[in-house]
Amino acid sequence: MSSSVQGQPTSMTGGSRGKGMLSARQQLDSRPRKRKQLSPATMTTNMIRYAVLTVIALVMAFPFYWMIMSGLKTNDEIFRMPPTLLPEHMLWNNYVDAWHAAPFARYMLNSMFVGAAIALLQVINSAMMAYALTHMQFRLKGLFTGIVLLGYMIPSTAVYLPSYLVLSKLHLLDSYSGLILSNCVSVFSIFLIRQAFLQISHELVEAGQLDGASHFRILWTMLVPLARPTFAVMILITFIEQYNNYFWTMLITKSPELQLVSAGLRSFFVEGGAYGLKWPQIMAASAFTIAPLLVLFLFTQKTIMQSVNMSAGVSK
Amino acid sequence: MNISAATNQTIQLNLNTGVNEVKLRWMREGEALAFTLPAVIPLLLFWLGPLVYIFYLSFTDWDFMSPEKEFVGWGNYTYLLGNPDFYQALRVTLLFGIGSVIPIMIGGLLLALLLNSKLRGSSIYRALIFSPWITPTVAVSIVWSWIFQPDVGYANYLLKLVGITGIGWLQDSQWALVAVLIVTLWKSIGWAMIFYLVALRNLPSDLLEAASIDGAGAWSKFRHITIPLISPTTFFLAVILTIQSLQAYDQINVMTQGGPAGSTRTLLYMYYQAAFEAFDVGQASAVAVLLILLCVVLSAGSFWLGRKMVHY
Repeated sequence: MSSSVQGQPTSMTGGSRGKGMLSARQQLDSRPRKRKQLSPATMTTNMIRYAVLTVIALVMAFPFYWMIMSGLKTNDEIFRMPPTLLPEHMLWNNYVDAWHAAPFARYMLNSMFVGAAIALLQVINSAMMAYALTHMQFRLKGLFTGIVLLGYMIPSTAVYLPSYLVLSKLHLLDSYSGLILSNCVSVFSIFLIRQAFLQISHELVEAGQLDGASHFRILWTMLVPLARPTFAVMILITFIEQYNNYFWTMLITKSPELQLVSAGLRSFFVEGGAYGLKWPQIMAASAFTIAPLLVLFLFTQKTIMQSVNMSAGVSK
Repeated sequence: MNISAATNQTIQLNLNTGVNEVKLRWMREGEALAFTLPAVIPLLLFWLGPLVYIFYLSFTDWDFMSPEKEFVGWGNYTYLLGNPDFYQALRVTLLFGIGSVIPIMIGGLLLALLLNSKLRGSSIYRALIFSPWITPTVAVSIVWSWIFQPDVGYANYLLKLVGITGIGWLQDSQWALVAVLIVTLWKSIGWAMIFYLVALRNLPSDLLEAASIDGAGAWSKFRHITIPLISPTTFFLAVILTIQSLQAYDQINVMTQGGPAGSTRTLLYMYYQAAFEAFDVGQASAVAVLLILLCVVLSAGSFWLGRKMVHY
């Protein structure tokens, strides 16, 4: 509690005094022992703020709540009007039923495996590409920078059709390799890492070279460790993006044992009669699809929200 | 003698380094290539190559199956420009763009202003509001289509409490786009909020204090200091959100599949349907090319606008 003086808000009126984002824990720790008397006007404004924020937070969280609760209802109850906010009986069995109704374990493992593999590959190729673009001299540098810049402008969804044809020519449709290879480079990741490497002085690289270290060694033993926070952000964002990926993966993987979780959930949603008949199971399935991400978010909140800050830098 | 020996030596050295330099240069080029190829090859295969290929495909008639691609010149484009479906898709695309980008930005800014001051527990609110952004669009769209269910959905239940009935949401061409936009807003508003929170935290507090001392009110401080100083963020968000709106697919696919009566069919969705439902590669490619041009025009336009308006 020794730090309490430091973080103690001296005045609640100075709106934008914060020195960056405080985590929930820090804010809790800095809770002042003796609270400073607030003026009645400030108290009222704060009360209004809390009220407005609470309403908004409830609206934002409602779909999640409704999903979990609907997943616990009987088919009878879910179609009842007026809707019940709490199920009469918690039917946990719905979750078990839904889990077994389609190979969801397989879908989720697929998503996690593909997401992790792509994140790993992107670490490697983004680091090398960004290093070349920031700390090496070569003829095609301008051209490659241009390609990366252009990639930032044109949405990849627009070229899904010809990319699909390329994959089919390579006989990689409906395979893990096709899925991973076609997603293994992200212009965004290259930009993000490039941004971090630009902050690192070139003298450091030169010093490494004087010591006889190769570029490869300098990159992996000096620059990558220095840019660790950026890599953490990149890995998280890539993993989440790939776990949630739907459009492209739905196009190129058809066999159920290769489907990722979003496509699997979608087919469970539409598939033979499930549509409109098994709403509790559908809600339960949505819930356990979302759950890993919400858990991941709970633990990596700070890093994920930092990423927003970093991606803003990418645009400059 | 000494001098000439020295010169000789230098010449010798220069010759040597000349040879070495050429060798070294090529080694350097080769090494750089080795560093870039792991990223460049997939980019060429799955992005730049396809980008060129789709321009070619848009001048052909092909169905994935037949061995020959028939060259039809501008045929696909003239057909498209005479097709009312295309104009409807263009209209929906613009409506979706405007209807998502502007509310997300204004909403994000308002939320950031609400959360900016040191409120106890604000990080919990922040996390709650941001959390939809990281969840899979497919899963949450399924949940929302249950909420929008016309007879027993929660949205219509709430509306009935205030006396509004009969909105068909996803089954009603008047309302389907609104429903899709609500989901999009719900998902992205927290993301925009975080950007604005960072921008607001970086405002120079001495400037705001000086303005207060000079007697500036809250509104005029906001109008004349805050708004100009956060304009880079506003600009960045406008560009990224616009490009995102052009790519929206998941929520449309789950909730409406472009319907009813094409009321939620964007250009991207039209492209998808032409390619993978109607197997009309030429038509689909023509739509995609127009979509790409739209992106380039928007990016270039916003770049130009940004240089004129944004205060860095």
